[in-house]
Amino acid sequence: MITNFLKTIVQFFLKWFAKIYLWRVKPHIIVIAGTTGRHWIKEAVADALKEKNFPVRANKKNFNAEIGLPLSILGLISNDTKNQTIQIPIKTNFFISWLKILYQAAKIAFCHKGPTLKQFLVLEMAIDRPDNMNYLLSIVKPQTIILTTITMIYAENFENLDEIALEYKKLIKALPWDGLAILNFDDERVKKLAEFCGRVISYGFSEEADFQVKNVRKVLDGQEIEISVNQRSNQRRSASIIKINRFGNHHIYAALVKEAIKEHFKISTLDFFKSLSH
Amino acid sequence: MSFSRTKNIKLSPIKQMELLASKIPDVVSLAQGVPSFDTPEIIKKAALKALNRGVVAKYSLTYGLPELRETIEQKLAEENMYYDFEKEIIVTAGSIEAITASLISIIDNKKNEVILFSPSYTSYPEAVKVAGGQPVFVNLIEGGLALSQSKGWQIDFKSLERKVNSRTAAIIICNPNNPTGTIFPKEDLLKIAELAWKRKIFIICDEVYKDFVYDTRNYADLHADLIKETQSARGSASDQRNTGQRESAFFSLAQLPELRKIVIRVFSLSKAYAMTGWRIGFLHSDEENVKEIIKVHDALVTCAPVISQYAAMAALDFADQEIEEFRQKYQARRDLICQHLDELSDFFSYQKPQGSYFVFPKITRSARGSDIERGSRADLMTRRARGSSQRESVSWRFAIDLLEKAHVAVVPGIAFGPSGENHIRMSFGRSEKDINEAMKRIKEYFSI
Repeated sequence: MITNFLKTIVQFFLKWFAKIYLWRVKPHIIVIAGTTGRHWIKEAVADALKEKNFPVRANKKNFNAEIGLPLSILGLISNDTKNQTIQIPIKTNFFISWLKILYQAAKIAFCHKGPTLKQFLVLEMAIDRPDNMNYLLSIVKPQTIILTTITMIYAENFENLDEIALEYKKLIKALPWDGLAILNFDDERVKKLAEFCGRVISYGFSEEADFQVKNVRKVLDGQEIEISVNQRSNQRRSASIIKINRFGNHHIYAALVKEAIKEHFKISTLDFFKSLSH
Repeated sequence: MSFSRTKNIKLSPIKQMELLASKIPDVVSLAQGVPSFDTPEIIKKAALKALNRGVVAKYSLTYGLPELRETIEQKLAEENMYYDFEKEIIVTAGSIEAITASLISIIDNKKNEVILFSPSYTSYPEAVKVAGGQPVFVNLIEGGLALSQSKGWQIDFKSLERKVNSRTAAIIICNPNNPTGTIFPKEDLLKIAELAWKRKIFIICDEVYKDFVYDTRNYADLHADLIKETQSARGSASDQRNTGQRESAFFSLAQLPELRKIVIRVFSLSKAYAMTGWRIGFLHSDEENVKEIIKVHDALVTCAPVISQYAAMAALDFADQEIEEFRQKYQARRDLICQHLDELSDFFSYQKPQGSYFVFPKITRSARGSDIERGSRADLMTRRARGSSQRESVSWRFAIDLLEKAHVAVVPGIAFGPSGENHIRMSFGRSEKDINEAMKRIKEYFSI
């Protein structure tokens, strides 16, 4: 009872500190959602942006729901140890520990100066019941959304797949007019969500996908794949072969999204030199 | 009713010692390899949450919950092991189910011998027999130079090469080794791998104690080249896998992609996360092997306990801090038990364990009373329970005598294979209080 009450209080303050931080720093928010493969896509997106010299921060695995998400936004939990301010107390019922975290959160929300360059915040977002999405969207307004799949495997609290799809529709509809959706066209329900957003980049094995994978070959230490990219400017397709040192289709999807991100987000020359000075 | 398949399978001597100990009041037990700690709070809370959400009453997929397997894949990647959660990882009911299922899938009429190192985990021979195989022991030699430059237990490669033949199906490596606490050097593991590759033999790597490695600085020095070698061998492509990766000093054959098709790696959460009662672990290997093992796993257990799978997910995600605390405490307890053993140097000699939570001291001649050498009234107590060879062993008599006279339970070394004879296994997974009390009683037993 007391623990639940404390959790509500902590959740409330963390939400508002996260909102204040986002309002002040205004990072470009990339949300990765869907029922499977989010972790690997998140890693791939963060890698792609780092390769382009953008300042980027991503949430740590599984810190992606009501409490984990605001902690990640505030940089209290991060994959990047340099940026990590504190360790989350493992024994979550420790009142003092949470008080310390709230203090840190408040400090970051009100006093933290963001980086000179526009920062990318890559956030994995998980829902496990109806209305979760409403809560998460009350904290975060994404500019880019990457959707993986819609399946039942993580979602015991939903009636059916269409009910889950409705949650993701809310997410897509939250995009601003110039927002970007990167959608997995191998999943029919995800593909259908393309109707609700302006700019779409698609990926998958599907022939309709802008970033299409062809000719997968399993090798001793990974997979070799051919990526065919639809060049919208001249309606032609370019192809390249890359090697990924992992096994499984979820890593192929991650590689496709990585290519899409590299293609879409390009740093200006001025920003490039600015980034070197940091 | 003949029970021809099971009549030669014995109940684990560890359980037998526990059973005998339970009949004597006030026994301090250093016999069973059970951590003294309770399962960390965060894991119990996750299990309770899953229970209250009503998601644990039904079977999971035979492979295990997808979200758990995804977490396992992430965890393995942090340790430079790359396996596909959809096709190459099975969540099992502890490591022994994983080992048994693997053996059942590997062993056939043509290849039915399984190489076991002696001394090594006492349940391996029985698992091999359950699978219809024949255990073949290769001795570890006590006193060779091992990691940390102290004398340790080394593999007798000449014996290994002699015993591998066309009937050999697999080699089981327990690393860190139970009961000796030895961490096998990378060079030795690679030698075994080379032999196995040439002879088309599977290697089952049981690494349930890999989180309890001590003297890490020394260990890391000796293995510092590993990570560099692995990464440089993979060249520039390694950037795809490095995010969030921490360097692990512990070498596993499952880190080498070249060995994917012959290595089956087994891990259990029992020891690392103090979850022995939850019966949860996993195995991973190349898809070709896993698609065969899954059939046996399905026939044996359908799926691992679902509530334990939810607990395992929390363990792997959130309990790193607890593991480190356990490791530090075990290291302090190892030093404590070794300090006591140093005071008993007339009666025991030992190799300082580099991993696990066991020490495996040798019983010196002066420790064996004349009744132990000849056989004692303890025989009467054990005759009903044991086969004659173990019953007549010095280590069994000594363990029984210690239990009867000092009320301290240990495991006789013979239980771990022929070269375990003349040793006893003591667990420092127990609390400091238990260790001090047990060692006090042993000193009194020797009239110190």
